[in-house]
Amino acid sequence: MKKTLIAGVVSLMGTTAMADGIGVSMALFDDNFLTVLRNGIQSHADANGISVQIEDAQNDVAKQLDQINNFIASGVDAIVVNPVDTSATQAMTDAAAAAGVPLVYVNRQPVNLDTLPDNQAFVASNEVDSGTLETIEVCRLLAEMGKTEAAAYVIMGELSNQAAVQRTKDIHDVIDGGKCAVKLTIIDEQTSNWRRDEAQNLMTNWLSTGTPFDAVIANNDESAIGAIQALKAAGVDMASVVVGGVDATQDALVAMQAGELDVTVFQNAAAQGSGALDAAVKLSKGEAVDRAVWVPFELVTPANIGDYLAKN
Amino acid sequence: MPVAQATHGLGGLKDDPTKKSKPQELNVLIALIVIVAAFELVGRVFLGDSFLFNTRDNVDAIFNTARLQIIILQVSIVGIIALGVTQVIITGGIDLSSGSVVGATAMVTMSFAQTALVNGQPNPKAIFGDWAMDLPVLAPVLVGLGCGLFAGLINGALVAYTRIPPFIATLGMMVTARGFSRWWSNGNPISFPTESYGAIGKGMMPVLIFVALAVLFHLVLTQTKYGRHCYAIGSNEQAARMSGINVDRHKVLVFVIAGGLAALAAIVLSSKNLTAQAGMGVMYELDAIAMAVIGGVSLQGGRGSILGTVLGALIFGVIISGFTFLKLDAYYQEMVKGAIIVGAVVLDQWRQRGRSRG
Repeated sequence: MKKTLIAGVVSLMGTTAMADGIGVSMALFDDNFLTVLRNGIQSHADANGISVQIEDAQNDVAKQLDQINNFIASGVDAIVVNPVDTSATQAMTDAAAAAGVPLVYVNRQPVNLDTLPDNQAFVASNEVDSGTLETIEVCRLLAEMGKTEAAAYVIMGELSNQAAVQRTKDIHDVIDGGKCAVKLTIIDEQTSNWRRDEAQNLMTNWLSTGTPFDAVIANNDESAIGAIQALKAAGVDMASVVVGGVDATQDALVAMQAGELDVTVFQNAAAQGSGALDAAVKLSKGEAVDRAVWVPFELVTPANIGDYLAKN
Repeated sequence: MPVAQATHGLGGLKDDPTKKSKPQELNVLIALIVIVAAFELVGRVFLGDSFLFNTRDNVDAIFNTARLQIIILQVSIVGIIALGVTQVIITGGIDLSSGSVVGATAMVTMSFAQTALVNGQPNPKAIFGDWAMDLPVLAPVLVGLGCGLFAGLINGALVAYTRIPPFIATLGMMVTARGFSRWWSNGNPISFPTESYGAIGKGMMPVLIFVALAVLFHLVLTQTKYGRHCYAIGSNEQAARMSGINVDRHKVLVFVIAGGLAALAAIVLSSKNLTAQAGMGVMYELDAIAMAVIGGVSLQGGRGSILGTVLGALIFGVIISGFTFLKLDAYYQEMVKGAIIVGAVVLDQWRQRGRSRG
């Protein structure tokens, strides 16, 4: 009953507001990163005179599928989807394919990426790069400090999250693949659920073991900052520890300016948004687009931090 | 056993809660010691390292003080919430909103605690204009407390005067307050507070605040009329009403205090982390309830104590630190934690039953 009601309301909105153009279904409006991505889509559309309608799926898989079906019913040229659940994309692909409407997934990798039909594509940054860039730079800094062997703690994000799993795997791949400039051993790896407070407690617990270490490699900046706060509280000299994160958030850049955070990686949300829109427009004109379009991750260090201060 | 307890508490204004709950806390203390001993034993056998004692040659101490500190530091903030939750549960209610109230309060408080210049640049996370920058530390603290007290007032008024179950009233607040904290800055984190605000949660300050509040509310619950009324209402609301207690007003007061404590926790948390985020405090309400329940606070109401909850919080802290000490795989930790929560309560029930038989 509730579902049909929502579908009814959404379809009403869909049919009145939309004749042609691109329909966009975002997983969630109130997420910081996704907001930057959404603004990227909107401003790119405004600049190029493309009409877009952006809907909020409010993290509801069923609602998102309803939105897609409503976009199809109202005859959009193409659809951009930021999937709520990456394992629920087959139904969306099927619905768009049956109607012959091009569809582009953005930021989150659909489970059926390898079997996407020709008029569907995926635009994102490759998480293989984020953790790899981060770890290689941490290794380089350790070598620069004159070390040949080093020990590191790893702070993981939410264990159920694909990015957290991949970024952690990247760290191991760099070490095992001999791409690390020093002989790096991982003392322990635990989760902070992406959160600063949990990372702070975790780091303090690690400090209480007294095991010597040279680096902290975190899956995201918030966790790296939590670790930094714990290290500072314990009186550890920040110059003696290499700390790495991912995201290049404002807080992280400030920590980097203060000489506490050594490495972070910038994921270009706005470029993903505009890239997805470009792909959707191309597909709607019948042009070919690569199945996976990768927007590169960018390494941020004190040397190039100036380029990123205004980006996130 | 619960029946005996209830009849014991009938009209039980003369009933001394301290006398009744003493053995209860002894159980929790034993559980705490058993868990610590288990970590110590497993550590010695499998890692060749001690959980509690100092094993470093370069440090001159008997105990591993760093670990003892983090055990209590990491539960202090949720512990502050648990102090309020304990009072609500003893009075026969439940508060599901505290985690969300923490999130909402942190967002509002931090907006008034920001500093104008960060590394010589304007604050990149500024919420309000210059007028809200570099305010004296009292301003954000009072605003934050106001937030929590207000949320508690709504909770209490809903429970006392509309007579909807506390589970539903505080569930509503839980969802609303979380929505509010997302709306406040459109999901953006709020960071870079003034130095004086950052001092509130610095170092071992959270522990100090937690312990001071625990002592305060231990005295309040055991020595004052307010405390006796909490137990009386939780044991038998009807009887309490008959004996002339203004039950409705008391319930409002209990929820207001719980809201205020959640706000204090939010202030300490945002100060300690130097940031406020919309997702802060998620699941804190359940951790706080778990601490109270492990500490022997009965969800039926009328039974439990602040001391028990503090011990429950310590068990939580020991478990978290113990996992890191053993380098237990992160994928197993929550499963084990859940099992320990249930195990601690089951053990307590057995001991209680054994005593009432024997």
